[in-house]
Amino acid sequence: MDFYKGRVLKIDMSSRTADVEPLNMDWARLYVGGKGLMLRYLWELTEPGMDPWSPENPLIIAPGPFAGTNVSTCSRVVLGGKSPASGTILDSYCGGSFGSVMKFAGYDMIIVQGCAPELTAVLISDDEVSFVPAAKYAGMLTAELEASLRTDFDPHMTSLSVGPAGEKKLPWACVSNDQYHKAGRGGTGALMGSKNLKAIAVAGTGRVDVGDARAFLDDIERIDTDYILTDTNYWVHEEGTPVLVDVTNGGGCQPTRNYAAGSFDGADKINSDAFKKIRVKKRACYQCTLACRNFHRMDDVEGEGPEYETIALCGSNCGIDDIGALMEFNHLCDEYGLDTISTGNVMGLAMDLTEKGIHDFGLHFGDAESYLKVPELLATRSGIGAELAMGTRALAAKYGHPELGMEVKGLEAPGYDPRGSFGMSIAYATSDRGACHMRSFPIGVEVVEGSMPADTLDESKAEFNVNFQNHYAFKFCGIWCDFWAIDYEQMGMLMKHLWKRDVTEEEMTQVGERVWNLGRLFNLREGFGRDEVPEAWLEKPFTKGVSAGKIIGTTRFNEVLNKYYALRGWDENGVPTEAKLTELGMDVRL
Amino acid sequence: MPHVMISSKKCTGCHMCELGCSAFHEGGFQPSRARLFAEVNPTTAVIKGHTCLQTGCAKCEAACTNGAIVRRTVTVTPSGDFPGKEKVGESVTGVVLVVDEDKCSACGDCYDVCPYGVIHEHPERKVAFKCDLCEGDPQCIAFCQNQYVLAVDLKVDKADRAIAAEV
Repeated sequence: MDFYKGRVLKIDMSSRTADVEPLNMDWARLYVGGKGLMLRYLWELTEPGMDPWSPENPLIIAPGPFAGTNVSTCSRVVLGGKSPASGTILDSYCGGSFGSVMKFAGYDMIIVQGCAPELTAVLISDDEVSFVPAAKYAGMLTAELEASLRTDFDPHMTSLSVGPAGEKKLPWACVSNDQYHKAGRGGTGALMGSKNLKAIAVAGTGRVDVGDARAFLDDIERIDTDYILTDTNYWVHEEGTPVLVDVTNGGGCQPTRNYAAGSFDGADKINSDAFKKIRVKKRACYQCTLACRNFHRMDDVEGEGPEYETIALCGSNCGIDDIGALMEFNHLCDEYGLDTISTGNVMGLAMDLTEKGIHDFGLHFGDAESYLKVPELLATRSGIGAELAMGTRALAAKYGHPELGMEVKGLEAPGYDPRGSFGMSIAYATSDRGACHMRSFPIGVEVVEGSMPADTLDESKAEFNVNFQNHYAFKFCGIWCDFWAIDYEQMGMLMKHLWKRDVTEEEMTQVGERVWNLGRLFNLREGFGRDEVPEAWLEKPFTKGVSAGKIIGTTRFNEVLNKYYALRGWDENGVPTEAKLTELGMDVRL
Repeated sequence: MPHVMISSKKCTGCHMCELGCSAFHEGGFQPSRARLFAEVNPTTAVIKGHTCLQTGCAKCEAACTNGAIVRRTVTVTPSGDFPGKEKVGESVTGVVLVVDEDKCSACGDCYDVCPYGVIHEHPERKVAFKCDLCEGDPQCIAFCQNQYVLAVDLKVDKADRAIAAEV
């Protein structure tokens, strides 16, 4: 078969056995791969109301059909399940090489269920799957763990692994691949940890077929030249994500001191120009021509990142403008396996509670010394880490100040405050995994390009979010990376190789919409209803900066949310109508 | 003589070279059968390229008792480009070392002497396989990150220096 391997590897950690099942090709046609296919399997494998910490919660690992070819950026892999952090769908992505290599090993998907009686590593070498007691790796940090796995088993293998944070089931523990690539959000690491699974390592020697390989190579070379190595995408190679620091700071939407402001006085010490001074080289994910990753070195700390989200949440949101401290902090989060977005939110909140005299966590805005101790404390749930581990929503509620916690559906917010980019309020509210900028990104038109006003919220923003979400839901089936600004025409050129016929924009949009509705159905099934965002974003304007004094307003927000639901064919509680599900050819119902 | 080299400093570790190579020669994407490879340490970003230096090395040719490593004339015109830079389109004619499959007995003598580990026994055909510069359009270069990451080195003296440094 071309592109797909047609095989799903099902791993049961309880019995420590593995089986291979054929990939459901009916679903592959409806949902393509990646996000969509993962969600369809998730729906099938779970009962309503399932406890996300239970052994039944599946960890579903799925690249897209183009993984293992030379289609740029498509090494990405989704890690899915029910989120231990939020209870919504979990779909978290990472680059690196795991997605491609698992295809060479012969699998389109790996599904892990059950719970091992002791900490275990799973080793996959083509058809061979083995389960190894992992007591010797317990508590091991990412770099040492990956090096040990390569030494102990196979120098060519790549792994998904958790650090101490995942072993301790921290709700926002992440999963690491190739050291710096993280399936960051929603608690992928907590899910792995709940299965007593320290690492899944894979090595593959097999082949991914594409039909006429030489014709395919010629076409990809053309697409690379015409659509990837272009001025539109070049910023990711020249700058990388730190370029966003100046953009959001200038637009008044960079989280600062627990969202008290939208711009940060110390931004020029942690922006792209500052990081360029310590850049050593550019690095790429497997099968990617863009090479967005910056490898930095400063004093005795070296490594890739920090990326923009880390700079914003663990930098400005904590009042930190010391680039050395930020490098060190990012390194510690990589090593212990922490999502930096959630970590930066929780720390900003703890600093805020401390400085307002509500509770003294010993953390202060701008104090690097205490801040650098937090990753280890969180990952080991010791000291203040034991309490901070409850996460933003519970921590803010415990101290009687829910208004200070910036989260949606329990997932902490990324680095774009809606008060400087009004469209982001609808994007965050309707995102299928809680506060997330990777489903729709109105900030791109509102702040980066300025082609839509940043300080208005009306039906055009509802429509923008619908279209963007459909586009990205399809894109993440591919799985194309966010950093390739690929449009439907370009995706169609690649889909033509997959489906061996011309594929229209309408067809791709419909797959995206189908995937989006499936995520919605899952969340509704698990008890979520009408969408909300923190009140501060709607009613509490900034007092300084370009976005000072601007208010979205709760009434306006709800009017536009209703328009969004109407455009989606959903009722006022965000429930898809039967007509919409029929139109989309959906094969599931609540 | 034309041959391919990977600059360890410029390589980003994307492995596109291995993917292009295997698809061209094997009919599908299979880096385990690529004729070159980049050894990447993901943590330290230290990268070491492994490529055939052709006649600049020729240890396989010297070791082969069957005369199965033969010299073939090839004109190489590399493709690939990047914004703001000229196309790397200069042609060069020279000699590559290829395996004469009728004479090769897969004895393994050449595998042992190759300093870069880029000649092996083919898993299906019982013969050695190695880089032949893809009939003049090396796919490793066509799919390299940018033309400055990996390039065909056209000078014999440079190859000699590289061998002296690495062996």
